[in-house]
Amino acid sequence: MAGANFEDDEILGKAYDGRLMRRLLVFVRPYWRQLAVAMLLLFAAAAAELAPPYLVSQAIDGPIAARNPAGVVPIFGLYILALITAFACRYGQTYIMQSTGQQVMVDIRMRIFSHIQRMSLAFFDRNPVGRLLTRLTNDVDALNEFLAQGMVALLGDSARLIFVVITMLVLNWRLALISFLMLPLMVVATVFFQRYMRASFRAVRQRLARINAYLNEQITGMLVTQLFNREGRSRARFDELSDDYRGAQFGVLMAFALFFPTVSFLSVAATVLLLNLGGRLVLGGLATIGMLVAFIQYADQMFGPIRQIAENYNTLQSAMASSERIFRILDTQADVTDPAEPQALPQPVRGEIELNNVWFSYDPAASDESPTAETAETRPSADNWVLRGISLKIPAGQSVAVVGATGAGKTSLISLLARFYDIQRGAITLDGIDIRALRQADVRRHIAAVPQDPVCFSGTIMSNIRLHNQQISDAQVRRAAEIANAAPFIERLPGGYNYIVRERGSNLSVGQRQLLAFARAIAFNPEVLLILDEATSSVDTETEMLMQAALGRLLHGRTSIVIAHRLSTIRDVDRIIVLHKGRVVEDGSHEELLTQRGYYYRLYQLQFAEQMSAA
Amino acid sequence: MEHLRHVLPFVARYRKRLLLGLLCAAGSAALTALIPQILRTVVDELNAHGVVAADLIRAGGLMLLFALVDSLFRFGQRRFVAGGAYLVEYDIRGALFRRLLTLDQGFYGNAHTGDLMTRVTNDLSAVRQFLGPGINSLMTAVLFISTAGTLLVRTNGTLALLVLALLPIITLLFVTIGGRMQRIFRSVQDQFGDISTRAQENFSGIRTIKAYAQEEDEIRVFLEENERYRAQNVRYVLLSGLLWPAIAVVMGLISALVLLVGGRFVASGTMTLGDLVLFNTYLALLSWPMVNLGWTVNLYQQASASMGRIAEVLHRQPAITSPAEAPAQLAIGGAIEFRNVGIRFDHALAAEHRTLTATGSRPTIEEPPSHADRPAAEGWVLRHISFTVPRGSSLAIVGATGVGKTTLVNLLARVRDPDEGQVLIDGHDIRTLPLDELRHAIGYVPQDTFLFSVPLRENVTFGRPDASQADVDRAAEIARLSNDLNQFPDGLDTLIGERGVTLSGGQKQRTAIARAVLRDPAILVLDDALSSVDTHTAAQILAGLRDVMQERTSIIIAQRIATVKDADRVIVLHNGQIAERGTHRELVQQGGRYAAMYRRELLEAELTEE
Repeated sequence: MAGANFEDDEILGKAYDGRLMRRLLVFVRPYWRQLAVAMLLLFAAAAAELAPPYLVSQAIDGPIAARNPAGVVPIFGLYILALITAFACRYGQTYIMQSTGQQVMVDIRMRIFSHIQRMSLAFFDRNPVGRLLTRLTNDVDALNEFLAQGMVALLGDSARLIFVVITMLVLNWRLALISFLMLPLMVVATVFFQRYMRASFRAVRQRLARINAYLNEQITGMLVTQLFNREGRSRARFDELSDDYRGAQFGVLMAFALFFPTVSFLSVAATVLLLNLGGRLVLGGLATIGMLVAFIQYADQMFGPIRQIAENYNTLQSAMASSERIFRILDTQADVTDPAEPQALPQPVRGEIELNNVWFSYDPAASDESPTAETAETRPSADNWVLRGISLKIPAGQSVAVVGATGAGKTSLISLLARFYDIQRGAITLDGIDIRALRQADVRRHIAAVPQDPVCFSGTIMSNIRLHNQQISDAQVRRAAEIANAAPFIERLPGGYNYIVRERGSNLSVGQRQLLAFARAIAFNPEVLLILDEATSSVDTETEMLMQAALGRLLHGRTSIVIAHRLSTIRDVDRIIVLHKGRVVEDGSHEELLTQRGYYYRLYQLQFAEQMSAA
Repeated sequence: MEHLRHVLPFVARYRKRLLLGLLCAAGSAALTALIPQILRTVVDELNAHGVVAADLIRAGGLMLLFALVDSLFRFGQRRFVAGGAYLVEYDIRGALFRRLLTLDQGFYGNAHTGDLMTRVTNDLSAVRQFLGPGINSLMTAVLFISTAGTLLVRTNGTLALLVLALLPIITLLFVTIGGRMQRIFRSVQDQFGDISTRAQENFSGIRTIKAYAQEEDEIRVFLEENERYRAQNVRYVLLSGLLWPAIAVVMGLISALVLLVGGRFVASGTMTLGDLVLFNTYLALLSWPMVNLGWTVNLYQQASASMGRIAEVLHRQPAITSPAEAPAQLAIGGAIEFRNVGIRFDHALAAEHRTLTATGSRPTIEEPPSHADRPAAEGWVLRHISFTVPRGSSLAIVGATGVGKTTLVNLLARVRDPDEGQVLIDGHDIRTLPLDELRHAIGYVPQDTFLFSVPLRENVTFGRPDASQADVDRAAEIARLSNDLNQFPDGLDTLIGERGVTLSGGQKQRTAIARAVLRDPAILVLDDALSSVDTHTAAQILAGLRDVMQERTSIIIAQRIATVKDADRVIVLHNGQIAERGTHRELVQQGGRYAAMYRRELLEAELTEE
């Protein structure tokens, strides 16, 4: 997955956006108790970490100066106590903060995922899988980094800085003021380098993304490069990109190579100032030598948080950009929605389907996003209707085959019956009720579509048949597999129903996947079944026969609409509907249509003549 | 673990830089160690009140001077060592890409794009991390620890031994906790991989999920997956949250012990207060090198594993290479002969599978196809294939999907070599011809059109970057690409691909044809190259090609008979053999497979006429 996201979509917005922040805080609010505890621990740790330098000064000015070796022991004891307190508080705080952060991430990820689940298919047509995945992974991660690390660091470091400053002022305000002399320089240097580093890092990321994109394209298109003797130019181009990248890397290197020596120089300079000016105070009796030693350490403790705060500006900025993108997804309204007051289907559901003057186009004017070049090409524009006024009545229990040339609107018809999209004009009813008046889940519980490309998920055979529906028992799954003729091949697999199916079902053949899809349809047992039965070239004869037999059983006694490609199916159904350019041109039984000698007659000759001669 | 030896040849070039870096590191270590010595003197003098302002200024000036020179050394060390690592990274990246350019489809068929990318990016970066920051810290740590250690021993042996005995605990802590963190982190990442796989499967299979109203169940399962991820993460946090506080507590303990033991020494007069301050200061300075030592150990382990993966690609030998002693070959004429050619199954499938997945620009991590759909892996895709194509004539190859047409023509440009028999051009076995000469002579239009995300013009001139405008125009004209140019915002200079305009299937194919034609090749291969072009345009393109190809040899694979019927001869592949051969007219008269295909096509044309 690491390489999958090459788009250097770096929206660099402002580092702080109050509106986004408030929306983000909604996710954090349920955990305010944990956060409060973590904050307390954070302050306690910061306070405990202040003790050691002070204790050292006490030891030097007290027992050591008084030549009393035994006097060091109680101070040592306090020192250890401070250490253990700091350790416990810091560990506790990190643990609470990080695990709460993880919980918040789970919440956010679930919100996004659930939201996406409720989107209609048009949304998935618009948003490529890769983009949705990036929202769910990279963007959520950026938020995590900010919430669990950035925010804590910002608060923690600010607290630490303030604590140190106050302690120093309280202990010896003269020495404190001397220590603060280098502070402005340190802040200026840090802010300057932070800015420089941010720019260099951005350059590195962009150029790396460019290399990745180029490399990806080159690897995928290697054959073309080799066949056209382009190796030399590819090499030159790669070297160019690689050189750019190296240049950017040197930028980062320079930033580091300058920054760290500068910081250590400034820290020595702070010590020198303390020795010179503070030394005079010691000589003048205005400070003790132990205090001076302690302040040398305090000065160092001051510089760390400044750098951390500057660094966390970055996480804040990318978190804002990520949350912007996440909220854009969350703010998208579904195109197909459940009605406010859904009607209930009269029980039992009979499965009578009626289409009344249905007009449909994929390109509704209501679309909130303009279609991409790709969709515009594969789809008609708004005036190009896919379905043009279709009226049909399919009585309960009737099996219907829909035939027609590519682009006639067959697949769209199936998608509409499952209410994957909403129609622009007309009405589709199930048992006399408009499917838009029903809940989508109810429609699909009774009208199930078996897709053309048999989809398999990683899991087991069992989980592929019943999906994650817990109401379907193991026995029902087995029964369904038997009806679908899938049982014989499943039982031959190692592990049978527990055979591990890999991603996209890559360890099953196309025929096996199709049989599983049939078994799935039977297991869910809908009153109305929609089947996209595309011709599958890569299926052996035996599987082909099994599939035909299974299909016959599937159709039997159930309202079913099949996009048919097999002769046997066409012969088995009660009725055939011929679609041509979004209209019903012929409607009747196989024999009736053949005698008409019209469109179906010729289509039949074209598509089925060979099967007929083969059979 | 000694995979890192593969990196030595690359590092050797920069040994001067490394040496300079080492010198800088030594200088820096010495100066860093000297500064606290001055501090000690001043503290002692202050403590004894035997100091005047001028002494303080002199000491301060000296410290500043040392610090300044030290900073310069530190800067130099980073420049030389870390900078050198970037140079090594650059060199290895270049070497990897050069190697990738020579590897054959047999390699790419089995490699996943994502995996190869990881080797060139993440693995390489792990190696660089070790060579740069890793070596850098190692130098500093070793030099500073030994210098400071010596000085501490000279100051107070007992206290120094105590400190030096305890400090390695920090390194040990880092190595053990850090190592375990890495292992747990890997399982965290795996779990995260499961989450994104789950989401990806869900989004890709959303039709099925919606069809069965499974959204709520999917949400439930996704939540479970997320909870598992969270649990793994909490395990990780338990450990990672421990690391820095633990190191801090050990450091603190050592400081406390120094205060306890050293304080007693000072109180009893065996040590000065300045010595105690010196110990404290060195302790603070030593903590980072100790941590860095541990860090370097971890970096080393990662770099070694990564370099092993890089070396696998770097040392991979290409299966298809130019012969060592190629004949002084004259211009390739284009008379083709396939002599008793046989191709075994598995290779072919790998290659064909590759072209199938190469269509998208996103990397595809594909499992090899299952065995269920194909005959025994040992079988032959094609065997005993013999035919000749005289120079300047054309041959058409037809047959069902998967019969091996593409695999067969792929032999010509040596995308792979046959397992049996020979392919000859102008009477020479093509394996004896220089590879680049051979490929220069062939204009290939592959089945799956792959275009690069560069301007359209660069795609057309891909095989002949120096082509004149007139030649480009002519090629665009022949491929009928010229008709579409006014649809693109910048004509031929329109950027295409992800960041530019998306071409239709037909436009892509016509671009690929223009790309091949522009090479003016001796042999033109069209592998189902007109499948997305409408019949009318296809006819125009074919007519245009006939003019250009009069002196050339051409091989056309097509699904449509209309595309091939004017070829000088046609062969029909079936069941691994040439089932029919002859001219269009002869084959139609024979009444076999070819004739059946033709009849079917005529009917179809009639239907779509309406």
